[in-house]
Amino acid sequence: MARSGQPRVTPGVPLSQAPAPDPSARRRPRPQTASGGGRRRGVDGSAVAVPVARELWLAVHLPHYVLESLQPRATAADGAAIPCDGGPVVVVDFERGGKVVCDCDVPATASGIVPGMALNSALALEPGLRVSSREPRRERALLDAVAAVAQEFTPRVSLAPPDGVLLEVRGSLRLFGGARSLCERLRERLQAHGLDPRLALTPVPLAALWFARAGVEVALRRPDTLPARLAPLPLAVTRWPARTLQALATLGVRAVGDCLRLPRDGFARRFEPRLRLELDRALGQAPDPRANFVAAERCVLRRDLEPELADIARLRRAIEPLLDELCAFLRGRGAAIESLELRLLHREAPATRLRLRFAEPVAVAGRIAALLQERLARTDLPEPVRAVRLRSGALVEAREEAGELFARDRRRASAVPQLVERLRARLGGEAVHGLCLVPEHRPEAAQKSGDIHLGSPTSPANAGRGTGKGRGECPAVPRPVWLLAVPQPLEGDDPPRCEGPLEIEEGPERIESGWWDGSDVRRDYYVARTPAGVRLWIFRERRAAGGWFLHGVFG
Amino acid sequence: MSLDELLRHPALWRARGPGEAAGRPGLPTGFAALDRCLPGGGWPSRGLVEILADHTGIGELSLLLPALARLCAEGHEAGWLAWVSPPHPPYAPALAACGIDVGRVLVVRAPPAEWAMEQALRSGACSAVLGWAACRDRQSLRRLQLAAEQSDCLAVLFRRLRNGSEPSPAVLRIALASGRDGLEVRILKSRGGRAASVRLGWIDAASPAQAH
Repeated sequence: MARSGQPRVTPGVPLSQAPAPDPSARRRPRPQTASGGGRRRGVDGSAVAVPVARELWLAVHLPHYVLESLQPRATAADGAAIPCDGGPVVVVDFERGGKVVCDCDVPATASGIVPGMALNSALALEPGLRVSSREPRRERALLDAVAAVAQEFTPRVSLAPPDGVLLEVRGSLRLFGGARSLCERLRERLQAHGLDPRLALTPVPLAALWFARAGVEVALRRPDTLPARLAPLPLAVTRWPARTLQALATLGVRAVGDCLRLPRDGFARRFEPRLRLELDRALGQAPDPRANFVAAERCVLRRDLEPELADIARLRRAIEPLLDELCAFLRGRGAAIESLELRLLHREAPATRLRLRFAEPVAVAGRIAALLQERLARTDLPEPVRAVRLRSGALVEAREEAGELFARDRRRASAVPQLVERLRARLGGEAVHGLCLVPEHRPEAAQKSGDIHLGSPTSPANAGRGTGKGRGECPAVPRPVWLLAVPQPLEGDDPPRCEGPLEIEEGPERIESGWWDGSDVRRDYYVARTPAGVRLWIFRERRAAGGWFLHGVFG
Repeated sequence: MSLDELLRHPALWRARGPGEAAGRPGLPTGFAALDRCLPGGGWPSRGLVEILADHTGIGELSLLLPALARLCAEGHEAGWLAWVSPPHPPYAPALAACGIDVGRVLVVRAPPAEWAMEQALRSGACSAVLGWAACRDRQSLRRLQLAAEQSDCLAVLFRRLRNGSEPSPAVLRIALASGRDGLEVRILKSRGGRAASVRLGWIDAASPAQAH
């Protein structure tokens, strides 16, 4: 506000930085310039005082957003032209009880069709017309997608529905090598999505939007040039109500410049004060707060399949573009996902739900696709699939790991999660587990099948816990490598039998514990050997029931 | 053409000769008598090892535990130990007592163990893969051997003794039997080595150090 504060008293005239803008003032020594002119100039220290805008707004306007929103975006990504395969295309909307063309592509324009024309007239001009109807949901999604692309360039992105996006790029200029280079890169990214944007760069958001709507691609860095450059724009860029524009046209006011020349108070009285405020905002004389675009927390994508697919391999190929889109979404946010839900919608049967879980956050399409392939391979489809709906799990921060000097170790560290999730995708989540020691005297409670600690295997602390403590717990007594999940009763008594009479080698080792949690044990353990040479870990039950049991096998 | 040149022909493989010295050193088994019979002085670090035994618990795992402990002791370099469809749940305290880092053990319960074994071998995440599978068709056995050949890890497949009569692409095949005074190890096939028979005393899984 400090910079725009001074010239605000003289609206309509070009913004000049000081009351006396004579050229001699610029050559004055620095202290005098600082005292006479703007506060900022002294800080800049430059002898040539150019009012530098604190903000630079880049407006993206999509003149054909209605048409572009209906394009299959996945195929548009590789730049292949979609709409030209079946002749001219128009999009229609219901207006005043009839179907009216609201957007049309280049071949349709060439045959004389213009927006606003009734559909019947358009069909009379071009009988081979392909007609689609508007889908507001997809138009909104398109704008979100553009905003997501814009967020790759700056954190401050604001929507100007239905067809505009504003980027505050002042802080990004140096990173992208200047305004021109930034605009070109943004244009390339949007064109890759099959869009044809109009870009305009000014210090004021509304002015940038007006220029872009008019199709005037300007790059203005100084606010004082705004009134002169805005003046020739047609008033239609303001999107004021049609009644107001008509009333102004009858007064002979057709361009923005005409409007600026009208007396300020009279204009505000005759028309709405809001319009006057908008003019001030376009000139940068009134604050114009813009809400920041907040990206969706989850990625939800849907693709209708035509024709319906029953073949798994083709279904997988149809889903892959969605995964690419998902990963582009994740990349734009520096995020990753740990789970993913896929719904395969059928015509009659309830939707088939596939839930993918990853062992670590992922943001790579190839890895998700590999996992999906395993899941699809063991999925039975009740009916052909009509549509696919993809919903990402909550986003987590993507972990970019620093490279390591020794390639082999890095390969191993990254390969474990992939192996685990691959096995789990095919065999089920419970089929893969790790081991974990528990300090406990009862043999069956001394371990549990733990989760797999993906990050920690290389840490020395963990290695110490695995070996050192384990030794400490069972100092001298032998423990079998295999422990039966449930002790198996043995025949016979003194000596018990298991594939022949057992020969007791060691024992007894008495274990009495666990009275506090209901599953107490009172057992005498022995090491015994079968006639075949297998060493077993058996125990004699010391509670009332008695009897011998096999509990483990020494490997 | 001299004889030396002929012998250097890549299609020619010699059971004992200069090629053996250049071969990869094996992973010491922890049993000196067994090491002496194996070509690289230990378990082959590439290629499939088959251990044939008719009884679980005869000592087949005790034979491997020192090598597994050695793999865990590699510290920072060590990979994971995958146990694919073991006959019983492995018991962590016993493994820990042998010096195996149980935090690195991966237990996979997969009815078709061959597929999971192959995945584990190909992933490059493991330093040892132990699998219990019948491997009825030779195709899957060959795939396993190929995967083991390409990965840098100890691949061991446990099968029944009767499979010993069937041909197998494995690099090393060992049949285990218990004699009167200990474990009898018969080397049925050893690439670069020769068939042999070693008699080891009773191996106590809990204290592998005695075998040195």
